[in-house]
Amino acid sequence: MIINLRVWRQEGPESPGKLVDYTVPEASEHMSFLELLDVLNEQLLADGEEPVEFDSDCREGICGSCGLMVAGIAHGPQKRTAVCQLHMRSFKDGDTITVEPFRARAFPVIRDLVVDRSAFDRIITAHGYVSVTTGSAPDANAIPIPKDTADEAMDYATCIGCGACVAACPNGSASLFTAAKIAHLGLLPQGEVESPQRVTAMVNQMDAEGFGDCSNYAECEAVCPKGISVAGIASMRRAYMKGLLSG
Amino acid sequence: MGSPVAERSQSPRLDSKVPSGRLQEKWDIYKNSVSLVSPANKRSHHILVVGSGLAGASAAATLAGLGYNVTCFCIQDSPRRAHSIAAQGGINAAKNYPNDGDTIWRLFYDTIKGGDYRSREANVYRLAQVSNNIIDQAVAQGVPFAREYGGMLSNRSFGGAQVSRTFYARGQTGQQLLLGAYQALSHQVSMGRVKMLPRREMIDLVVANDRACGLIARNLITGELERYAGDAVLLCTGGYGNAYYLSTNAKNSNVTAAWRCYKRGAFFANPCYTQIHPTCIPVSGDYQSKLTLMSESLRNDGRVWVPKDPKDSRAPEMIPEDARDYYLERRYPSFGNLVPRDVASRAAKKECDEGRGVGETRLAVYLDFADSIRRLGEHTIRERYGNLFEMYERITGDNPYKTPMRIYPAVHYTMGGLWVDYELQSTVPGLFVLGEANFSDHGANRLGASALMQGLADGYFVIPYTLGAYLAGTRQSDQVTETHEHFATVEEEAGARIDSMLKNKGDKSPTQFHRELGRLLWDHVGMARNRTDLMSTIDAIENLKEEFWERILVPGSADRYNKNLEFAGRVADFIELGSLMARDALRREESCGGHFREEYQTPEGEAARDDEAFADVAAWEHTEQDPALHLEQLSFENVHLTKRSYK
Amino acid sequence: MNLITALTSPVGRKVLTGATGIGLVAFVIAHMIGNLSYLPGPEAYNGYAHKLLSLGWIFYTIEILLALCFLLHAIIGISIQIRRWQARPVGYKMYKSAGKPSRSGYSARSMIFTGIILLGFLILHLISFKYGPGVAEGYTATLDNGESVRDLHRLMTEKFKEPLYAFGYPIIMILLGMHMRHGVWSALQSLGMMSRRLSPYLYALAAILGVFVAVGFLFVPLYIYFLV
Ligand SMILES: Cc1cc2nc3c(=O)[nH]c(=O)nc-3n(C[C@H](O)[C@H](O)[C@H](O)COP(=O)(O)OP(=O)(O)OC[C@H]3O[C@@H](n4cnc5c(N)ncnc54)[C@H](O)[C@@H]3O)c2cc1C
Ligand code: HEM
Ligand code: HEM
Ligand code: SF4
Ligand code: F3S
Ligand code: FES
Repeated sequence: MIINLRVWRQEGPESPGKLVDYTVPEASEHMSFLELLDVLNEQLLADGEEPVEFDSDCREGICGSCGLMVAGIAHGPQKRTAVCQLHMRSFKDGDTITVEPFRARAFPVIRDLVVDRSAFDRIITAHGYVSVTTGSAPDANAIPIPKDTADEAMDYATCIGCGACVAACPNGSASLFTAAKIAHLGLLPQGEVESPQRVTAMVNQMDAEGFGDCSNYAECEAVCPKGISVAGIASMRRAYMKGLLSG
Repeated sequence: MGSPVAERSQSPRLDSKVPSGRLQEKWDIYKNSVSLVSPANKRSHHILVVGSGLAGASAAATLAGLGYNVTCFCIQDSPRRAHSIAAQGGINAAKNYPNDGDTIWRLFYDTIKGGDYRSREANVYRLAQVSNNIIDQAVAQGVPFAREYGGMLSNRSFGGAQVSRTFYARGQTGQQLLLGAYQALSHQVSMGRVKMLPRREMIDLVVANDRACGLIARNLITGELERYAGDAVLLCTGGYGNAYYLSTNAKNSNVTAAWRCYKRGAFFANPCYTQIHPTCIPVSGDYQSKLTLMSESLRNDGRVWVPKDPKDSRAPEMIPEDARDYYLERRYPSFGNLVPRDVASRAAKKECDEGRGVGETRLAVYLDFADSIRRLGEHTIRERYGNLFEMYERITGDNPYKTPMRIYPAVHYTMGGLWVDYELQSTVPGLFVLGEANFSDHGANRLGASALMQGLADGYFVIPYTLGAYLAGTRQSDQVTETHEHFATVEEEAGARIDSMLKNKGDKSPTQFHRELGRLLWDHVGMARNRTDLMSTIDAIENLKEEFWERILVPGSADRYNKNLEFAGRVADFIELGSLMARDALRREESCGGHFREEYQTPEGEAARDDEAFADVAAWEHTEQDPALHLEQLSFENVHLTKRSYK
Repeated sequence: MNLITALTSPVGRKVLTGATGIGLVAFVIAHMIGNLSYLPGPEAYNGYAHKLLSLGWIFYTIEILLALCFLLHAIIGISIQIRRWQARPVGYKMYKSAGKPSRSGYSARSMIFTGIILLGFLILHLISFKYGPGVAEGYTATLDNGESVRDLHRLMTEKFKEPLYAFGYPIIMILLGMHMRHGVWSALQSLGMMSRRLSPYLYALAAILGVFVAVGFLFVPLYIYFLV
């Protein structure tokens, strides 16, 4: 199949960028979208042009490295699928696909489609953990946890930190990412203990990074490759108010 | 190759430092006698941790928690993305929660046996001992392992064991364990004890006064070469399976850091031991960039078969029972579809080599769930494997509930790595190697769910003790800073390498070279090896290396984000490693674990191990000429060496 | 936690828009039902308005609270919008909604517009009615008990005989309905009262409430214009 691409090219953080048109004449429907970009890059290299830079690593939807706006949707049109697992059979021969980087003030562009998502790490560093040092843990079965609770915590814990939620959110909010971690740890007795401190610190960090506020659009849930529910955002707010009331 | 007889003695350079005493007491004896570093002194020590996977993140977090000053590096934009994140199946521990008779001894024994008796008893026993602490630690960090309705942790069984000792978090165990370690690391970052430097690639090791004292890293955004001095360097950089180009490893997995250390004096052990996983989604075309693993657990309910007639081109559902060959069940009646990974992989290769492969490329066999669905109902199958089936459908477009999966083996894990002693120290003092990057605990074959265990054991529970032993023995006068002349020299060498790749302006991309190398290794240093092919492969790789430096094309410049430049450097190292892998495979004139030499097999086509001649670790030393071989003889005082049979 | 900083944090801001929003929803529903007492006749409507006024300090407290709600709600709503622009200085060349389970339909994405229009409306509305002609201007009615009160019924009737009011109001009421369509769901989510199980029901409830309020309100102007 023939695929036309309009790809965002940008030299560096400060340079202006633009969409550039390319054609990949020998695409296959079995290719993943990133493999299509690989093929484009080999083509560019052969023509003496500079390849398109983009991030990827695991290419199986778990590491969260990849992340592109494909045809206007974060990670592309297929539901619950990171762009590395998006396959070309989602497109038609002759399609023109626009590819842009994730955009947010807190995610500055490094080059082409590569952005800096270290703001997420700083949100986790603010308090996205249980304060336990190595060796001090009691026996793993000392605290029973109902299966349903553990399962729900796991649902939130599956966030891969890809940033699609921010990219898709009309407000550029990082609420889903932040809430997923707060909900995961807050549901478990191990993490519940320091929940008030955690919520405050993480929310403040999210603010300091320059992410937008959440207007409950749930566009984030719709693009999240792990289908993290916005119910997590509600529970983050509950935890926040609880912290507020308890001082 | 030198005379085999002379080679077969223990090398004086390889002191394993295994403590004396009973196997069960060695680790306690070690801990009781090891020198400690006082809290005040810990603060004055600076530790460089390269890698943020399970091994690196757990080590960095733990050492910082103890009070050391830690700087941690990783290639990805966040430490949370290290390749460990992709592990699916689970992690072993000898908790014996199901009360099915598991003990530390059994976990130790299964691991030694699974490794085909090519690992060090004392290391493996220690691994089994600390396994339980890992689960405790992870749960305390908030890792949401699967649980039973009673609220207790749930276990499942995994290949190579008769007990249920595998803890898991759906099909994302590696992710959850890594996030636990990453969060512990983030905690220490927030306390100011760890400085985390993502998007940094270690490209060389600095050795001064015969000790590892720092490293050169490339800032992958600005391209700058940066110098970091430290009192010890911990290499936690993962495995080298990507040498084969196509593997289940992540795109950034590489051997560069380990290879640079090898070139600076660390010995590389058993490079020929690679694990080829039988159930992966097959290659669909030349553009393919990586392979995706389908968990081993699928073989619990799936039946493997190929059409009896190579020319049978009917859709699989249309092929009647009597025209199918369930070859695993036929050849291994007692284990059937559940034979270990290496056996299952070789059997699939054999079918395809003989022309009975299926699918467009004919490099695949069927994994069929029709019987199980009929027997247990689609609901049960969905409950057990739902997410894997979805993943399969996403990639292939086929629905495995309706039509059998197509699977083929793929490179998955590397048991070889830098040689380390009981303290995880390499042959360069001050350079420690943890996780998949070292050669330690898995011998010639790794059991499922034990790599996660090893990475975390190394980082959380072994290195905190053994690093102290090293540091307590160093003197203030050994400490060097970034201004030391060695830093300048090494930085210059590293810079020159990068420049020469950029200036070359050839006509072949790094990927093209990587694919060619991969093809050579897969064909000749893959599932089956033989003398003739290995010899010719060594030559072919030499030629590829020469060609690389003549024809490599790297676009752009070194002063910015440049993925091709990164890849080019890694491919150059893979090429050199490939040659060593072939050499090591050639030297090991036996079949064991993941290493199958066609010349050494039983009349029935099974692996023939040679314990008389090859119960050893082959550790290679870099020299200006051919690499020099050193041997560590393995002695088995506690287990009896038996032949593996799955008939 | 310092209360002020807490309430200006991203979550605090949302909790406040949610709380004030719910307050406004309550008012609007009450107001809508009150307006329907126009239908039985002048006696009922004028009496109802008068009864409210005669509640004395309770009425004034509610009024002040209401004013505060409007003020806070509008300020925070607008500040959220400003932060939104700041959070993404460079926009997309191409952007599409990913569809279900996204809640960002027309109503959601137009909150700021419907909100600001409501603000403008409110000012004009208060000028027209609350601060419009009263007893001094001769709009007087006598109740059954002989009390002489402001004749709001007449005022309403006159106003909605003018096409601009008669048709302008219903348009605004539709916008109000849209504001509530996303608003009610959103406020419950903002206040943390949402769970994965409840969410679809409450989202549907929000739509019903939005239609209910819009129709309830726009009925009176149209009734007056065409049928009185
Ligand atoms: C698909 C898949 C499934 C698996 N499933 C299981 C399983 O179920 N159970 C199990 O036990 N094992 C499993 N394994 C194996 C296991 O995941 C790995 O062996 C283990 O995670 C390796 O951990 P590590 O910490 O040693 O290295 P990695 O996790 O690979 O981390 C390497 C780190 O080093 C960094 N790095 C590398 N090179 C450099 C450099 N030059 N400079 C700076 N940083 C560098 C990387 O950025 C990264 O942070 C699986 C493996 C794969 C591929
Ligand atoms: C005074 C004029 C008004 C303005 C400027 C305004 C503005 C806004 C804005 C911009 C939002 C979106 C906030 C966000 O993005 O998170 C919002 C939400 C909301 N508005 Fe209004 N609005 C006004 C009046 C009203 C009225 C009269 C009602 C009552 C029916 C109302 C009910 C709501 C509700 C319930 C929400 C949802 C709150 C939340 O998301 O937490 N608003 N308003
Ligand atoms: C058809 C629609 C409406 C009609 C006929 C109507 C009618 C009136 C009337 C007659 C008054 C004067 C009451 C008095 O002065 O005692 C009034 C007051 C008021 N209305 Fe409306 N209204 C309508 C819609 C709205 C809407 C949609 C809002 C909110 C956004 C609103 C907000 C107010 C407020 C705040 C007051 C002042 C209340 C007070 O402080 O006494 N009205 N309305
Ligand atoms: S919440 Fe979903 S979209 Fe957001 S970072 Fe996590 S996985 Fe990505
Ligand atoms: S899309 Fe944005 S507005 Fe909130 S619900 Fe999701 S963060
Ligand atoms: S590359 Fe890892 S999630 Fe896509």
